[in-house]
Amino acid sequence: MSAAAEKANTMRLYLTCIRNTLEAAMCLQNFPCQEVERHNKPEVELKTSPELLLKPVRRFPTFTGLTADNCFTDEPDIRVINPLTVKQADELENILAKKFLRFLSMRAEAFQVLRRKPVQGYDISFLITNFHCEEMQKQRLIDFIVQFMEARYFSLILIFVFMDIDKEIGELKLSVNTRGRLVATEFLKQFI
Amino acid sequence: MAGHEDFIEADNAEAIITRIEHKSRKIESLLKQFKPVEALKTALEGSATITKDDRCKSANWIAVHRAIMAIKDVDGMLLSLDSEYHDILMKYLYKGLSTGDRPTCEQCLRIHEKLTQRAGLGCILRCLADTQNTV
Repeated sequence: MSAAAEKANTMRLYLTCIRNTLEAAMCLQNFPCQEVERHNKPEVELKTSPELLLKPVRRFPTFTGLTADNCFTDEPDIRVINPLTVKQADELENILAKKFLRFLSMRAEAFQVLRRKPVQGYDISFLITNFHCEEMQKQRLIDFIVQFMEARYFSLILIFVFMDIDKEIGELKLSVNTRGRLVATEFLKQFI
Repeated sequence: MAGHEDFIEADNAEAIITRIEHKSRKIESLLKQFKPVEALKTALEGSATITKDDRCKSANWIAVHRAIMAIKDVDGMLLSLDSEYHDILMKYLYKGLSTGDRPTCEQCLRIHEKLTQRAGLGCILRCLADTQNTV
């Protein structure tokens, strides 16, 4: 019991830490390019002006089944990238998690703050720009990301669907195992 | 010219490492006397030196890590810590979180929450924006 309580407490501390860091890092505004007049370049991806970038922050909680994350921010802050890895317990869950997150990334337009391709080495990435901060409330954006990491539920911004990542992956795993069993039974019947 | 600077840097590094070793001994003795707060203050004091040498940085980190892990009462510690040390402590907390070692991470997370409540979000941002004095 106490181990579970301790784990829950560490989880709570971890999410608080993420929330605080995100809140500090997400001070975003439009900033014109320093080299070319009337241009606006995404410095986090291009890295042409190193003085404009903030340091990346790495946080690795070592609980099973949770996330490692790394946050790059851009100084006069056009965008914040928040890549996540979802660690899973065994191989099958690993494959299912990857497919599920790829499914989400492909539909990145619906989420608006998701990146189509995760950053190298991670499973899924968020990309928040100053336009998002202008249109949407900063607190709600942070809440969204923290809830996503908590894997309770999240809602698509355009279509209101409630999903629980862990539950989804659990159900997928069950159905894969059931299908596998059925197929194997049918196949082996011919040898009886 | 570059060679000359490297030579000076190496000399400086040796001096800094010697100083860090002195500091480590002092920290050990303070911890034996059950004074973790003083130990942490000693650890954070000397680390404001600007040095690019990785050995100095890792030596500094080991000393600070020892002091951080020995802290039991986070609130009391933060009350007695001067505000000039908040930024440096925050940098070391993030370094601790990046190690991935479970007990270190748990301790760092505990301190991080209280430190943010006390020092505010500006502390975090200063730590993120400072690319010159990295730990």
